[in-house]
Amino acid sequence: MSGLLAFARFEVARLLRSWKFLAITVGFPVIFYMLFLHDQSPGKIVDGAVTWRVYLMVSMCCFGALVAALNAGGSRLSMERSSGWARQLRVTPIPAWSYVTTKVVASMVVVLPVLVLVELVGMGFGGVSLSVAKWFELTGLLWVSAIPFAILGIFVGFMVHAETAYPVVTGLMFVLGYFGGLFNPVSHMSPSLQTAARILPSFHQASLGLGLLDHQGFGIEDALVLVAYAALLGLAVIWKHRVEESRGLA
Amino acid sequence: MVGLSETHQVEGATRAAAGPATARFQVRSADAGGEPALRFDGVVRRYGKHVALDHLDLDVAQGETVALLGPNGAGKSTTISLLLGLLRPHAGTVEVLGTSPREAVAQGRVGAMLQTGSGSGLPSGVRVASALQLVRRLYRNPAPFDLTVERAGIGALLGRPTQRLSGGQAQQVRFAVAIAGDPELVFLDEPTAAMDVESRRSFWRMMRQFGEEGRTIVFATHHLQEADQVADRVVVINRGRVVANGPGATLKAAVATRLVRFVAQHPDEQALDGLEGVTDVAVRGTGVTLNSLDADATIRALVHSHVAFSDLEVTGAGLEEAFVALTECDPAPRGGRAP
Repeated sequence: MSGLLAFARFEVARLLRSWKFLAITVGFPVIFYMLFLHDQSPGKIVDGAVTWRVYLMVSMCCFGALVAALNAGGSRLSMERSSGWARQLRVTPIPAWSYVTTKVVASMVVVLPVLVLVELVGMGFGGVSLSVAKWFELTGLLWVSAIPFAILGIFVGFMVHAETAYPVVTGLMFVLGYFGGLFNPVSHMSPSLQTAARILPSFHQASLGLGLLDHQGFGIEDALVLVAYAALLGLAVIWKHRVEESRGLA
Repeated sequence: MVGLSETHQVEGATRAAAGPATARFQVRSADAGGEPALRFDGVVRRYGKHVALDHLDLDVAQGETVALLGPNGAGKSTTISLLLGLLRPHAGTVEVLGTSPREAVAQGRVGAMLQTGSGSGLPSGVRVASALQLVRRLYRNPAPFDLTVERAGIGALLGRPTQRLSGGQAQQVRFAVAIAGDPELVFLDEPTAAMDVESRRSFWRMMRQFGEEGRTIVFATHHLQEADQVADRVVVINRGRVVANGPGATLKAAVATRLVRFVAQHPDEQALDGLEGVTDVAVRGTGVTLNSLDADATIRALVHSHVAFSDLEVTGAGLEEAFVALTECDPAPRGGRAP
């Protein structure tokens, strides 16, 4: 057990020490928030009952979580697997499942400070005011609902070659961010794009957070979609892992 | 290693060098008493249609240093993957330290240095020291950090980021990673592949010291000299089978034989076998091939034996050529990527 803890700490430390990783994951959502805040009047009501400043903060939290999770896995993981380090770990006493699990845990750990940072910018720069309880609820909800993205990052790292993982991650960031309605409220989109957004987990994560703030309550449908995504991607990773084990590549 | 089995090994290896290698060697090296460090029993492993290991039998006693020698694609890496539980056999059994390979790995009794292709085999974005510290923590009873550093001779590399190591330095660090858990059994898959001559020499010196502490070491190589100089015993693998198995010196003698060929009417096999230096006799019609450890002595004896021979020919060879003969004596391709 102490071995697994050491491994998880090692992984988190490695992510936080990567200048490139931090610049992308922290830079994107914070800069976008500041850039887009005055695109519209911050107090304007958008997307139901929330203001633009709140909508953008929740959206950028989701985008930050997405970017952090995809980059924590993605090409980093893919390269690591092709470098032989993953295989080296396989011949140490830690169990086979712990590699994937630790990667997911490490991704989740680095997502949390990104959420808090965007919220602080929303509070200070954007003038968002919420009760203390709401801040905590929002943070917790957005954090837990980032699990599918953490698994998605691992999934990409497992499925895609090191050379192609980077464009795949960039593509996913764009598709999930833009079409998931993180840059422009889904209610402002064309009907066909609105339908498309409902398929994407990023839309449902943001919708879960916004629902909490506009007093619509907990979005059961959103939660179910996210759970389904987490389960499907998790199964895909386990399947891929099994196939590799049987071929001796793991 | 008992005398009798050595004789068998020599004879077998000679025959393999002489002609079609169909003989299978099942010489067990482990003496009675004391559980073997590892045991392969009739192990078959395929990749699709390609047979990587074809009923491989192999025993290694505790404390032995054994080289797996063979050309690329002979089955050395597959053997090591099976020993580590990274692969499962399609038939036969693999036992490591009296248990399954996976269990032995899970108990932290095994360390390994695998082939990594172009990668460093180390985590990026950290210093050597912290990668090594992590690996230690994955084991229940690791060796002291400083001892591992000393054993692998990587003191000067500890502060280096892992991505700034040369190929040879990365290999040294990976050796430290392999022994960080203080394993009883170490597998090294072509450990000196990226090293220059000097680092190769110091690497083997360190590894030999490590082996002298009673540990079992199995390493794969395609350098005959490396195998000969470092190992107590050399196991030659080709096309998924053990084609020769013995201490370096014995093997060298076996593969260093010369072939004496001639034509004789009604050759007497028994008489020919008794000639000085002869280890094997093959007769096909009037064509005779003798394997000899000393071609000069054999020919002198042949002349004195009053055998009426003609078309005398002596072939064979230095160590390298004999090794090639040993591993390339079966021309039939066995599927795979052969055109």
